[in-house]
Parts: sequence; structure tokens; C-alpha cells
Amino acid sequence: MTNRLRVLRAEREWSQGDLALRLRVSRQTVNAIETGKYDPSLPLAFTIARLFEQPIEAIFSPDGGPDA
Amino acid sequence: MLCTPNRFTWQLRGWALLSALLILVGALLKRWGLDPGSLRGVVALLPVVPMVGYFLALTRWVRSLDEMQRLIQFEALLIQFGVTALAVMGYGVLAEAGAVPNPPVGDLWPGIWLLLFVSWSLGQAIVRRRYR
Repeated sequence: MTNRLRVLRAEREWSQGDLALRLRVSRQTVNAIETGKYDPSLPLAFTIARLFEQPIEAIFSPDGGPDA
Repeated sequence: MLCTPNRFTWQLRGWALLSALLILVGALLKRWGLDPGSLRGVVALLPVVPMVGYFLALTRWVRSLDEMQRLIQFEALLIQFGVTALAVMGYGVLAEAGAVPNPPVGDLWPGIWLLLFVSWSLGQAIVRRRYR
């Protein structure tokens, strides 16, 4: 799964720590999600989508693009 | 934020320290001949009581972690379980075969505890690398 978390975070000029605080997770977890080493659970993905006010599919997409 | 020491990690340290102190007190009482025979078992078991608090705090600490940190701890504990089980089993069969000394459990448990914590730390280091 790929995601636009790093881009969305950069647009808001948040550090990984800032985002971690807003999501109530550790900074390491934010980093692992951004680098694609960890795929968040559905509840966490919904929390991320709510925070950025975008649908989940606008933030996360399966490997190989939206049609994969 | 959730991986930095929080109140649960301080509780863990406190319970472990109390247990260690009670082991020391028990050993001193024994050395000085101050442990009456009828209370010997009670004094010996005293260090176990704080460890109940330790494991309750450990449970609360794991529950306070986020989902990825919980996964890391779960996988680290699997490594701990595997390493310790294989080491204890390996040593046990070797001792039964007479290839290594066969000390009583009373002499072995500190080593087993040390192995538990070393293999848990090792497990965390290995698993964390995957998510770095």
C-alpha cells in the first residue's frame, strides 16, 4: 500500500512529531506509515482521513496504483 | 510519544526494584539467621508479590502503546518465547544426558530471568529494525 501522508503533512508544515500527537501514535509509527513499512489499521486510516479531511482512497492506494 | 517512558514504565521499574530489594532482604535475613523456620517460605515468597504488580503494569504499558508498537512488542515476545524455550529445553535435555551440570531450579531461575529480559530486548531490537 502507498500513501500521501508525507505530502499532506508537508503541506501543513507539520513535523512527524506534530502528526503523531494529533493521531495519538508514536513518531516511529508515523515514520513507518510514511515509508510504507507499516500499513495502518482501518480505524487509524479513518482517523488519518478525518484529520486531513479527505476520503481514505485519496490518501491510501494499493501497491501498483488505484486499479491494482 | 508513546514509546518514551510513561507512568507505566516507571511502575515497572518500581516493582522490579522492590522485588530485588526483597530478595536482598531475604538473603540478609537468612545470612544473619533471622528467618524463623515457620516463616521461611513466606520470606522467600515476598519478592514474588511485587512481580504481580510488575506484570499488571506490563499489561497496562502494552495497552497504552499504539497499534504498531503493540505489534512490535508482540513479535519481540514471540522471539523471547522461542529463544527461552529452546535454551531451557536444550539445557534440560543436555543435563538429563549428563553432558552439562544439573543444578536445582533454585539456582537456575535467576539465569532464566536474565535470559527472558535479554531475549526480549534482542527481540525488540530485531523487530524495530523492520519498521525503521
